[in-house]
Amino acid sequence: MADELTKDVPKKSAGALLQSVPKNVLFGILFLFATFPLFLNIALPNKPLEESTAFYANLMKLPPNSKVLIASDWTNSTRGESGGEMEALLRILIRKQIKFGLYSTADPQAPQVARDVIARIAKEVADDGGPVYKPFTDYVVLGYFPNSEGTNLAVNNNVLTAFAGKKDLPEGGQQTDVMQSPVFTGVKSLADFKYFILVTASSTDKIIIERIKKTPMMFMVTGVMVPENVTYYASGQLKGLIGGVKGVYDLETLMEKGEPESQVASLPGTDKLKKNKMLKGTAYYPTLTICLFLLILFIFAGNIGMFFSRKEAK
Amino acid sequence: MNLLLALDPSSLWNGENGSTGLWIKIILALLVTSGGVFALARAPAQVRKPVIVAVTFLSGLYYVLFWLFPQPINRSTPSDAPRNMLEAASFWISDAQNIVANISNIIAGFLIGLGIYSLLRIHLRKIVKKQTDWGFSAVLVVSLVAMTLFGYWDWANRQSPAGGTIPFVPSSAWGFQQYARDLLFDGLLQQMDAGMFSVVAFYIMSAAYRAFRARSIEATILLITALIVMLSFMGVIQKPWDDFVAGTLAGGNKDSVLNGLKLSDTYTWIRGSIQTPAIRGIDFGVGVGLLAMGLRIWLSLEKTGGND
Repeated sequence: MADELTKDVPKKSAGALLQSVPKNVLFGILFLFATFPLFLNIALPNKPLEESTAFYANLMKLPPNSKVLIASDWTNSTRGESGGEMEALLRILIRKQIKFGLYSTADPQAPQVARDVIARIAKEVADDGGPVYKPFTDYVVLGYFPNSEGTNLAVNNNVLTAFAGKKDLPEGGQQTDVMQSPVFTGVKSLADFKYFILVTASSTDKIIIERIKKTPMMFMVTGVMVPENVTYYASGQLKGLIGGVKGVYDLETLMEKGEPESQVASLPGTDKLKKNKMLKGTAYYPTLTICLFLLILFIFAGNIGMFFSRKEAK
Repeated sequence: MNLLLALDPSSLWNGENGSTGLWIKIILALLVTSGGVFALARAPAQVRKPVIVAVTFLSGLYYVLFWLFPQPINRSTPSDAPRNMLEAASFWISDAQNIVANISNIIAGFLIGLGIYSLLRIHLRKIVKKQTDWGFSAVLVVSLVAMTLFGYWDWANRQSPAGGTIPFVPSSAWGFQQYARDLLFDGLLQQMDAGMFSVVAFYIMSAAYRAFRARSIEATILLITALIVMLSFMGVIQKPWDDFVAGTLAGGNKDSVLNGLKLSDTYTWIRGSIQTPAIRGIDFGVGVGLLAMGLRIWLSLEKTGGND
């Protein structure tokens, strides 16, 4: 009976087989190959993109005690990309002793997610012998604003009234008006912040590019958002752009080695840091490479299969 | 009225942050607004429609004026003062923007409240009536209550005079509420958030394998372009290939036309000459469409969206 049943089932040709790899097999292979490199500390060769180098070089040119304003509009759903971007940004800001204000307009979770990362990276840098970064003195978290369009326009229009009445916690103290923080000392307009930096995984990139005009902007976006934001970098609206895991790895490469061609220095302390731990970009870039390789391989297999099937049909 | 000095002098419309007076004003405003919304919802259509049209028009008019009316150049300087009526109007429009932004933030905040109310209404009913999969609804409600409870408990601790002594990273100064919030927010919610999103990679792989076939000339061009872009992101292939092109093919000559075969250069060309102009074209079309849509909504010509 079983033999009769199997006799009726036509044997699949090589072309058909190549075109119909089961979903579970695909998923299994991807899972294995994407996970494996995470356990290895491999530094793959990398040539940072021009926009990544511009981003890094601009931050490195800032003198200590400069101020930047950060819009942190990401949560852990994109931590592979945005988390690495935020960590790299904070390492640069803290090592360079640049003060910052941070607010969110995309997701109510975002300020807490950012606060956790700031606390972790500040501790890491301090433990590593770098500057000790304190809340309220060196940075303020300005909170979440549900209406992105109105808030970002208000920030551009008058940054002091936009954040008036907001409070944050100094270390060991109690809730204090953010205007008393050294971050806002001497600030009269948004132009007093050297850069407006957006770390986002949502559509706030469009909202912000339409509204922020008084200070230069630099964006850190996810991989899928790179194509649309490259247009703003090409037009000069953005002074630097970090995109996805490749962007994070670019930043980490630049932090470690600098860019001799553009005479941009490396970031002190990165060598020591990389010896002790795997940074996000360095950890995820091999995974990204393997996933892209698998993608190419399976697309290639599917197309070969189609070619054979067509040949057989003729 | 100088809206820049919203708290000075003290008036009916402001209050010290966190003061009892401000809380009373917030509650009164909430009651009056809720009453207004309730009355509007109950009013006949012939009364409701003109009110909604007028409010929509006035709200939009402010932003139209904000964009079109000349703005004061250095408004952040407190001594900057208008010299005539036209300038006074310009100053007023500029100063009012922050107030309008606050109003829009408050309205958007109410949407979160409305969402929570709607969620609770649906799922509590499901639990009470023991409808299909009511267990999932119970998990949702318990999660919502637990996250709110521990989130606010932790927040309230940090509002106290000793709030600054509680660090944001785990430490001996943490109490039960901090550990509970950390477990729920960082230990569960954030991990599930990341887990959910990572599933997308599997579907991208599956979809690309099944759909990305060179069935036509256009599809083949797309396939080759995608291949070049993907290879250019793979440093392990891009760097040796670029070195080979620069060293062997171009013989170290920086001016050689063969340098154009570098993966990084080809990607830069694709990006600058094909991708960027195409996206600009799409964005321009979307912008014109949005302008038309914005005008229709502002003038209440747009009938879709369930006004009636």
